[in-house]
Amino acid sequence: MIPISEPISLYVHIPFCKKKCRYCSFYSEPAGKHDTKRFVKALIAELEMYDFQRAVRTVYIGGGSPTSLGGSLLLSLIKSINLHCRTASEFTVEVNPGQVDLQLLKKLRKLKVNRLSIGAQSFNQPELDFLGRGHSPEDIEKAVVYAKKAGFENIGLDLIFAIPGAREDYWVRSLRSAFYLGPQHISVYSLTYEPGSVLYDDRQAGRLKPVDEETDRGQYEFAIEELARAGFIQYEISNFARGGFTCRHNLAYWKNKPYIGIGPAAASSYRNERKENIDDIERYIEAIENGRLPSAGVQSLSPLEVACETAVLDLRCMEGIDLEQFISQTGFDARQLFSKSIDRLYCQSLIEIKNGCLSLTRKAFPIADSVLSDFSSPD
Amino acid sequence: MGLRYMGTELIRNFSIIAHIDHGKSTLADRMLDLTGLVSGKQAKEQFLDSMDLERERGITIKASAVTMPFKHEGKTYMLNLIDTPGHVDFHYEVSRSLAACEGALLVVDATQGVEAQTVANAYLAVETGVEIMGVINKTDLPAAQPDVVGEEIEHILGIRKNECFHISAKSGAGVKELLEAIVTLLPPPKDNSDKPAAALIFDSHFDEYRGVICYVRVFEGALRTKQRIRLMGSGRTYVITEIGKFSPHMKPVDTLGTGEVGYCIANIKKLADVTIGDTITDDSSPAEKALPGYKPPMQMVFSDFYPGNNTDYSSLRGAFDKLALNDASFSFYPQSSPALGFGFRCGFLGLLHMEIVQERLERESNIDVIQTAPTVSYEILKKDGTVKRIDSPSELPDASHIEELREPFVRLEIITGTDSYGGIMKLAESRRCKLIKTDYLSQTRVMLEFKAPLGEIVYDFYDVLKGISRGYATMDYELIGFEKSDLVKINILVNKAPVDALALIVHRDKAVMRGKKLIIKLRRAIPRHQFEIPLQVAIGGKIIARETIKAYRKDVTAKLYGGDVTRKMKVLKKQKEGKKRMKSVANVQIPQEAFMSILDTSD
Repeated sequence: MIPISEPISLYVHIPFCKKKCRYCSFYSEPAGKHDTKRFVKALIAELEMYDFQRAVRTVYIGGGSPTSLGGSLLLSLIKSINLHCRTASEFTVEVNPGQVDLQLLKKLRKLKVNRLSIGAQSFNQPELDFLGRGHSPEDIEKAVVYAKKAGFENIGLDLIFAIPGAREDYWVRSLRSAFYLGPQHISVYSLTYEPGSVLYDDRQAGRLKPVDEETDRGQYEFAIEELARAGFIQYEISNFARGGFTCRHNLAYWKNKPYIGIGPAAASSYRNERKENIDDIERYIEAIENGRLPSAGVQSLSPLEVACETAVLDLRCMEGIDLEQFISQTGFDARQLFSKSIDRLYCQSLIEIKNGCLSLTRKAFPIADSVLSDFSSPD
Repeated sequence: MGLRYMGTELIRNFSIIAHIDHGKSTLADRMLDLTGLVSGKQAKEQFLDSMDLERERGITIKASAVTMPFKHEGKTYMLNLIDTPGHVDFHYEVSRSLAACEGALLVVDATQGVEAQTVANAYLAVETGVEIMGVINKTDLPAAQPDVVGEEIEHILGIRKNECFHISAKSGAGVKELLEAIVTLLPPPKDNSDKPAAALIFDSHFDEYRGVICYVRVFEGALRTKQRIRLMGSGRTYVITEIGKFSPHMKPVDTLGTGEVGYCIANIKKLADVTIGDTITDDSSPAEKALPGYKPPMQMVFSDFYPGNNTDYSSLRGAFDKLALNDASFSFYPQSSPALGFGFRCGFLGLLHMEIVQERLERESNIDVIQTAPTVSYEILKKDGTVKRIDSPSELPDASHIEELREPFVRLEIITGTDSYGGIMKLAESRRCKLIKTDYLSQTRVMLEFKAPLGEIVYDFYDVLKGISRGYATMDYELIGFEKSDLVKINILVNKAPVDALALIVHRDKAVMRGKKLIIKLRRAIPRHQFEIPLQVAIGGKIIARETIKAYRKDVTAKLYGGDVTRKMKVLKKQKEGKKRMKSVANVQIPQEAFMSILDTSD
């Protein structure tokens, strides 16, 4: 057993989907193809390779879609997790709007799951079809209503914009429909073309043309304004929450705090090590059944690399780099590490320093990567 | 071994003049083979090309010398083959080699015919007064036309067609006969063995362990080991620690007599202490006067080198020092540019020479450089009547001080097939070349002579020429002198700031066109930034063209969670490294390709 003493977040990856979405490049397979029982057993066995003691602060079950495991398997998995992670105070499960029923949600809530992340993506049927989501706008509404009925008071919705061929009012409609359902958390993602996804291939082959940069940026800025008007506070490039409802699990990633991922292709970050699990379901199960850690590789980072990683992640959050805290967390002074970049970016009004925190300006959000690259290695 | 000195009667000193790929090195190898110096395919295919780079490019940069024993009619002759470089930029070194010889073999490929450089080098040989033998190589190939080529040789060079030797250096056919002819047809060196020592330094190179190694040809008297010698030009004295011959490896001897060719080591520390063309004599009984030396090499092409990423100024200087050790025709001096910081202005014989230096810099010193587009020298007649030579647009004084601007003109010779005549004339016209003479070598080949501004041909002229003629045309040029021209300086402004390294001197008629083309290329070469970047071309204070690089509008990763971090960091790091390789001007990151894009005048 690997003892885990520092506070961590636990991520559990369910690599199954009923049908893979066209924008998705995550590792997932149709559930029917595999012995899901054997898989869940392996997952629990991996969980039991760790001695978490009182370390786990947050749990997040994502995928794929966890709901595609079917109710009873999902519930038994959660029971095991609860057994090992009694200290978790935020427990999120991702749900696909097409796969929820009130009974299941009620059972989840009873098992200490207190946050749901619902993959809404769009409230326009043509867009949902384009993305290959396999659910309707009504399914989303139903899911949220059921969730509330089941007692969930922390519900997040994911939305995608910059979808090719969309009517001009689609994005407004998606945002407003989301507001109407009253979630506590909204994530907005510009559609990306990940290698390995169907949309990526379509784009490469010229079968579809992504929206132009101007539209993409316009929709992003519109979302920021609309969300603010609706009372959502932006706390990360793509994430917005009502007061007190930021996702603590995801914040752990962005604060470069330790996390353990279990399941195929899940990533872990503990101290200076970055680990990734085997991404093939069968080989993953085999490794575990043979008593081995299902690791596909471990990378050790130098303290300097960890510092750069921390800076980049911090900057994705609105709070930015808390300069004093950065020193105590990484042992490096960000102002020295990136002095030239800071001077230049400051002159270009792409970063600002307020209350001891160095953060991106509003102007820098839409082009954040070009700014973040300056913090990816020391000057 | 047959290397012992037997008087000049048994010595023959000769060079091989040939166009690239016409088989000079193969012929040299075959000669080494036949004289028993190198057996068969010894380690390296072509012995005389010793540097990697030379071998890759199929050209010879540094002259080398080799001494071969050759038996003929019962006597053992000592044949000294002094290698010459075969490219347009290296006239200077060719003349050095020729001055150490009594004869030259003019080798022409039987499938290609006479090329422009061969003509130029043959004329050089005629000027030097050496005996020339015509050799037609590759006569065994199916496409060989030895008769047609023979006629060309006779027509252009005046060597009788029936006196040309037909050989195949590859198979060895005719090479033995050629060696015999060298013995019978070429004159031996003049016997001046009773005079005080006088030896011409025709080349030198630097050896890390032994210091400077001088390549010498003894014209009068003899050199001995332990002799105290004097370099007549510099007046410096040294003691010879070793003399010897290349057979083909260095082989020490006690004496180098009149007419002999070999090397001399005398504890000389720096290449700069030895002037090529200087005369070595005996310190206690010196020669009356020095042997005729050489004109210093004429540098015609200039470019700035700035330290790139991972390289600092001092390591760049160290690398240049090292290069200059072995290349007397390369020069550099410190220069600073407001846009690019501290760097060096470098002078080259020509474009090929520049490319070779660039490659050696990367290969031998493993450093990154940022290089500006090459330019030529200009002459300015100032209002006060003085004449100033400048080799950088940034040295151009204010227009109010200039009476007249002059640019270098060359006599440009192009030999080509008649089918590409039209295309070449069009190219020439677009580069301000004036046709002086058309000379038909045969029904299908023509030699064109132009008067051309050097500035118009140092860029990509040769590449375009090769393109138009499908690789067949060859060219050579020779400086005529500086002449008045209607030239203007164009400034390139990036984000409103002039980038001195991008300034150009061009003919007024071409200013708008060149400027426009240039900023279009810059627009493509400079990556988009977080803000809009105006690119402008200006003559004085007047903007004559403008382009804009649009700003990024959206560049952000939407989803970044646990598993994505490591991958994303890699991408961001790579981006930053890319940025570091660029130079920052007025907050704009300019990649090296942007500087190089000026070099390329094509569309």
